[in-house]
Amino acid sequence: MHAIQTENLTKIFTVNQKDPGLRGAVKALFRPSRKQVLAVDRVSLSVEPGEIVGYIGVNGAGKSTTIKMLTGVLMPTSGSVRVLGRDPHRQRVANAREIGVVFGQRTQLWWDLALIESLNLIAGIYDIPPKRYRELLERFSEMLELKELLKTPIRNMSLGQKMRSELAAALIHEPKVLFLDEPTIGLDLIVKERIRQFIREHNQQYGTTVILTTHDLGDIEELCQRVMIIDKGGMIYDGPLATIRQRFGRERTLTFEVHPRHLGDLRQHAERMQLPQGARVEAQNGGSSGGRLVVRFDRTLTSASQVAASLMGQVEVVDFSLSEPDLASIVRQIYGGALENGNGKEGKV
Amino acid sequence: MSAALKGLRRTLRISGAFLSTSPKVFMAYSIWFWMEIIVTVFSMVIFLYFWRAIYASSGQATLSGLSLNQTLNYIILARVIGPALENRMIFNFGYYIREGLIAIEMLRPVDFQFRNYIEMLGLMFMSLLTKVPLILIAVLFFGLQLPTSAAAWAAFVIAMLLGHAVLFLFDWLYACLAFYSTETWGLGVVREAVALLFSGGLLPLVMLPGWLQAIASGLPFAQGLYVPIALLSGILPPEAAPRLWLVQLAWIAGLLLASRLLFSVSVRKVTVQGG
Amino acid sequence: MLRYARLYWLFLIQRLKILMEYRLNFFIGAFSFLAMQSVGLVGVWAIMRQVPSLNGWSFNELLFIYGLITLAKSMNHMFADNLWTLGQSYIRTGGFDRFMVRPINPLFHLLADRFCHDGIGELVVGGVLVGYTSRALGIPWTLANFLYLLLAVLTGSVIFVALNLFTATSAFWIVESVPVTLVVFNTHEFAYYPLTMYHRFIQVAMTWLIPYGFASFYPASYLLGREVGVMAWVGTLVAGVLLLLAYQVWKFGLQHYSSTGS
Repeated sequence: MHAIQTENLTKIFTVNQKDPGLRGAVKALFRPSRKQVLAVDRVSLSVEPGEIVGYIGVNGAGKSTTIKMLTGVLMPTSGSVRVLGRDPHRQRVANAREIGVVFGQRTQLWWDLALIESLNLIAGIYDIPPKRYRELLERFSEMLELKELLKTPIRNMSLGQKMRSELAAALIHEPKVLFLDEPTIGLDLIVKERIRQFIREHNQQYGTTVILTTHDLGDIEELCQRVMIIDKGGMIYDGPLATIRQRFGRERTLTFEVHPRHLGDLRQHAERMQLPQGARVEAQNGGSSGGRLVVRFDRTLTSASQVAASLMGQVEVVDFSLSEPDLASIVRQIYGGALENGNGKEGKV
Repeated sequence: MSAALKGLRRTLRISGAFLSTSPKVFMAYSIWFWMEIIVTVFSMVIFLYFWRAIYASSGQATLSGLSLNQTLNYIILARVIGPALENRMIFNFGYYIREGLIAIEMLRPVDFQFRNYIEMLGLMFMSLLTKVPLILIAVLFFGLQLPTSAAAWAAFVIAMLLGHAVLFLFDWLYACLAFYSTETWGLGVVREAVALLFSGGLLPLVMLPGWLQAIASGLPFAQGLYVPIALLSGILPPEAAPRLWLVQLAWIAGLLLASRLLFSVSVRKVTVQGG
Repeated sequence: MLRYARLYWLFLIQRLKILMEYRLNFFIGAFSFLAMQSVGLVGVWAIMRQVPSLNGWSFNELLFIYGLITLAKSMNHMFADNLWTLGQSYIRTGGFDRFMVRPINPLFHLLADRFCHDGIGELVVGGVLVGYTSRALGIPWTLANFLYLLLAVLTGSVIFVALNLFTATSAFWIVESVPVTLVVFNTHEFAYYPLTMYHRFIQVAMTWLIPYGFASFYPASYLLGREVGVMAWVGTLVAGVLLLLAYQVWKFGLQHYSSTGS
């Protein structure tokens, strides 16, 4: 049995449109103009038990609508969805027992209560046998270093402490599927690292299936073997992370600032610059204070120093910087159709 | 002198800008606006039947010297207009002090108290404007009678303005408690409960037993509500107005002195302690 | 059922712990309520001392009516106050989604989430008024009368909760449901007085449409030995039907939420 399976999952929202101002308000009252918005468009996917899958897309792409349908909050307009073999909306209560959800920015804990008291309440809500609850509490306070925090009210916690508490709260009833929405947003590197490690360990020990939405490439790289990318409601990529990394992860970008003297050269000759194999000029622009040249290269074919040296031989460079592509820019490239141009064969597109 | 004038002009301009944006705000909250109208109409219905039953049971044409019509006139006006004459200075003060804004507010080139007064005055007029539909409803369906003589209207308007100043100054004085206690909410509630009875917001003050009337006359709340509403509803004749105005002016003089004194003492406490 | 009772107890205990942290607020809240109520009653007293009765009801009898409805109102205030905040605090913020991913009834979760201590002040006021006036009026506290009082308060509470549930459900469509709730809720003020003093139309409305009459006038009449016949008992039935209807409307609202998520 799949942990999660959807077929042509679709969600259409009907929104009332209102023109601004009083006239709009009056018009809306008598003749409301409605618009259909396609939030999720025929998404078919399946996730096996024990997988950690990254689910990414820009804001408004349909990520959270999908998650809401998988967790039973929203009813699909059409298509089918099964979580552990159940319809999450029709069998909402049974489904809720087996899933854990962390909605990144919204807490599931009670603001004024000490952590231990929030957990007690959650144990009551999920009807966890007292003995099992004590064992798990012991385990989680160990793994997430919550021992000192148990007596602290949530309102007094730092962001990182809150997120660790959220994870404990979402897992204390031993869900088989865990939905994580932006679990590391706003956290510093060390805390991020600790949270990723916990998710990984938990997944290995319990075989929990994890669906993870994030904007952080680090989360994906360290946790997921598989990535799904959604755009404008439709799934545009579903496949191994390795493919994406091969295609885009080995690319680096060097940005040069060129002396104003070469401005004219830049405009005319940028395309004809002599560069090592695997490097090419991505963009150039000239301004009154100087010009900028962006060179992209494949680090398996050449190196930053080779590219820099060759360029410095041709123009006078004032400054330069090296950057790795972030997830956002990768996703942008994928939206641009890069995968469809023959490089994404490994993934279903 | 010219600096003060400039300050005044600026204050008026700011208040003007405030007044012109208010209708928009008020449209955005139209559902609240309708709610208030419906809720107030309901309470008018209750008053109407309650007082009819009271007068019917009494077997007399008047109670404490007031006819049924006079009483209803008064009750409806007090219920509709009363809330517009209120201000909640102590909550403003609590906010200024909690957020540490008082020192910044004091730096502005207009007198702090005067600026607040203008703001509250603007707010009162805005609020009165929103009461017009209710007054119309009361006239059409609840037999509310408004005075026809210009003298009665003038008596009311002047008494209302003076009464508003009395309440503003008293609340300014009371709000200075915020410098000494953080429990502004509790203090605000106490003031409201006391004011509800002694301002004449519940029933005409003449209907209270003598000893409660005596307490009421020692407190400033009646100056802001009972006096103007009694003039507007016809309980008090316009001829009585000049004497009432003088009383109000005396309140203003005393409270102006007291409020400015207490405020400057209190504010020194905050600025010295760096609050 | 037992599970929900246990769970409610758990929520209540936690809530009381929070309240102990804000003890001063609690006392100020209770005091402010007491102050406002007393002032209102002083007003009624000042009027009633000048007339023999209101439509044949003495001041003490009015206080008895007032006490009964205050008891019912206090139950609603303590146990169902969160209905007011559904739109503002749960739907607008997205917090309602949390209820939807938990294996308990979302309505139960909403109500249990915040026991409102402000209602305790009302409970005390209502209790004192009913206790005092029943002695002054010579109502015998037989077992039958006592059980009837409990039934009457329960009936009244259900009417308050059901009406608020009707109106609060509008939050699933318009989010800002407070004005809608307030308009209907405020009609309970009609029921502070004997219904006979109103026009026939209002009497019917307060009995069959917005039946707050069953929270005050009818049970008070019965306990004071006034002839109301079967109306002394119909209220419980009306309250039950009303609650069932309200719950159906709530479920419809929930359905709407599931299809729009807003």
